[in-house]
Amino acid sequence: MSTLHSEAARRFNDNREKTTWHDATFWSLRQKRDNMASGLPEWEELREHASQIKQHTITHLADYLEEFSAQLESRGVIVHWAKDANDFNNIVLDILQSHGVRKMVKSKSMLTEECAMNPFLERHGIDVVETDLGERILQLLHQKPSHIVMPAIHLKREEVGRMFEEKGISTEKGNDDPTYLTQCARKHLRNQFMEAGAGMTGCNFGVAKTGDIVVCTNEGNADMTTSMPKLHLVAMGIEKIVPDYKSLAVFQRLLCRSATGQPTTAYTSHFRQARPGAEMHVILVDNGRSDILANDEHWETLKCIRCGACMNTCPVYRRSGGYSYTYFIPGPIGINLGMLHDASRYNDNVSACTLCLSCDNVCPAKVNPGSQVYMWRQKLDSLHKANTMKKCMSKGMEELFDHPQLYSSALRLAPLANLIPEGLTHIRTLNPWGVAHAMPNFAKESFQTMWKKGKLKKQ
Amino acid sequence: MTYKDELLEKLRRNTRKQYPMPDTPINGISYDDTIKQFVEMSKSVGSNVVMAKPGENLDDIVRNAYPEAKTIASNIAELTIATINPDTVAEAKDLNGTDVGVVCGQIGVAENGCVWIPQDMKEKAVCFISEYLVIVLPKSGIVNNMHEAYDRIRMPKTGLGTFISGPSKTADIEQALVMGAQAARGVTVVIREE
Repeated sequence: MSTLHSEAARRFNDNREKTTWHDATFWSLRQKRDNMASGLPEWEELREHASQIKQHTITHLADYLEEFSAQLESRGVIVHWAKDANDFNNIVLDILQSHGVRKMVKSKSMLTEECAMNPFLERHGIDVVETDLGERILQLLHQKPSHIVMPAIHLKREEVGRMFEEKGISTEKGNDDPTYLTQCARKHLRNQFMEAGAGMTGCNFGVAKTGDIVVCTNEGNADMTTSMPKLHLVAMGIEKIVPDYKSLAVFQRLLCRSATGQPTTAYTSHFRQARPGAEMHVILVDNGRSDILANDEHWETLKCIRCGACMNTCPVYRRSGGYSYTYFIPGPIGINLGMLHDASRYNDNVSACTLCLSCDNVCPAKVNPGSQVYMWRQKLDSLHKANTMKKCMSKGMEELFDHPQLYSSALRLAPLANLIPEGLTHIRTLNPWGVAHAMPNFAKESFQTMWKKGKLKKQ
Repeated sequence: MTYKDELLEKLRRNTRKQYPMPDTPINGISYDDTIKQFVEMSKSVGSNVVMAKPGENLDDIVRNAYPEAKTIASNIAELTIATINPDTVAEAKDLNGTDVGVVCGQIGVAENGCVWIPQDMKEKAVCFISEYLVIVLPKSGIVNNMHEAYDRIRMPKTGLGTFISGPSKTADIEQALVMGAQAARGVTVVIREE
């Protein structure tokens, strides 16, 4: 019955206080998102548009990529095409080495996590400095993000304060006030921006018609990253394209409202070319996306804009935390992306869903991640990953429900189960469903019997 | 050969049904008093708003807003109290230590407090490295929503521009909101009649 996810979730729940905090924190984000949504009469229209624009763009992707890259190249931006993670990492390393870069600052990019870029570059002697506060904290603690928008959400201020003291980033002993710690990080990162030979950003949206790279942050760290060093690298998945500014307006309005419940990020920055005297490279990454396009059931995962709303609303994510999932992107969308990346390796996450479909209802691009999890579950048997006990039960129920006489006899005998002591019905290995559940009492007489005896009257 | 040709060919091959763009435009939210909404929204994202009096001197406005500022960076000609110019500094680093940066905004967005700043200066760092940022915005540039804003954007020759909505902020430590993460700790939007 258990999966790697459910086992990890059980451990996460050992700390009741932290679990409750985690759950409440993400639920409050969901509520902030709802406030934003209800403040715009056109909210549902925006979602539908976003979905249609993405469906269109993704099914005309080759044309848009040609237009986009031609626009960038016309202004001297160097465009690279990476087939997979390895390809991407080597392209980045080549650019950095040919410019003699020893230190690179970077803003948040889930794509670089996907490609495991940081450890690769570090092995080649390049110091990579994350500049998003949450990412920097995790980097210094040698941890991975537990959420795609709020990567360090699982940490408490004491843990951050202690680490800042150890690293010499903060000087006041025992001061773990978030404002103080943020100011210390500001000073620490300011120096990194000044020293770095290159800056890397991700890309929230690439505008085909104009060649704009659009990056949204609250801290302004992508802007510092591109304002100081004279070499700007952009890591971009090929699905990030939108056709034009009209389309971009739809996504800009949806992204932050869905993600954190703010009306916008503090910064929505456009880069069409390198700044005066600087050089800009855009690395377009496939890494399996072109295969997803051919997947009839799951191609719409390519519509995802990585806002994290599906995680914030997910009852399983909220109560199990990002680290309980085996893929680096957790929550409903992560379950799907993991399966698409390597189904034999990441299928443990498919259990992390109650099929409540709350995620389908908040997703700004209508990716419907929950409905897709349902489809993966139908395929577990063909992956030899269906649970044996559940399979037996399904078979048994099939027999029972296909044979009315057998069903009636079973119903007559069912009250006998009331006599079995709880110690037997709740043996965890025999009956995992017994965990945290009381056994219901069977009625002495079934509805069917009562009906036949005329004990029930038609109203 | 680069991967480009192989990828484009594969994408075309792997595309099943093709979908059209939505054909009806979005009817974006609009406000009875767009200026008032912009001012309220700007305040709620953490900005100060100053309504300039007709003919009021920009030097005075900046002085009043930040009386203790020593280093003031700007390429706006009428700002005579500027001590450093982002167009003429040798390096972006030279702007480090700026107390107040003063830049021109073109479009203000009432729904979210965003101001479009065309980054026509040599070193756009002035928009982010300054401790505090003053954005000068013509009243006529204020629009209802992002649809209207994106219809109006004129990208400068540098090919760079940004929407800024309030100060730099983070909630990465325990969801506690802190202003002044990496860029400006505070923002003042100055709205002027043309």
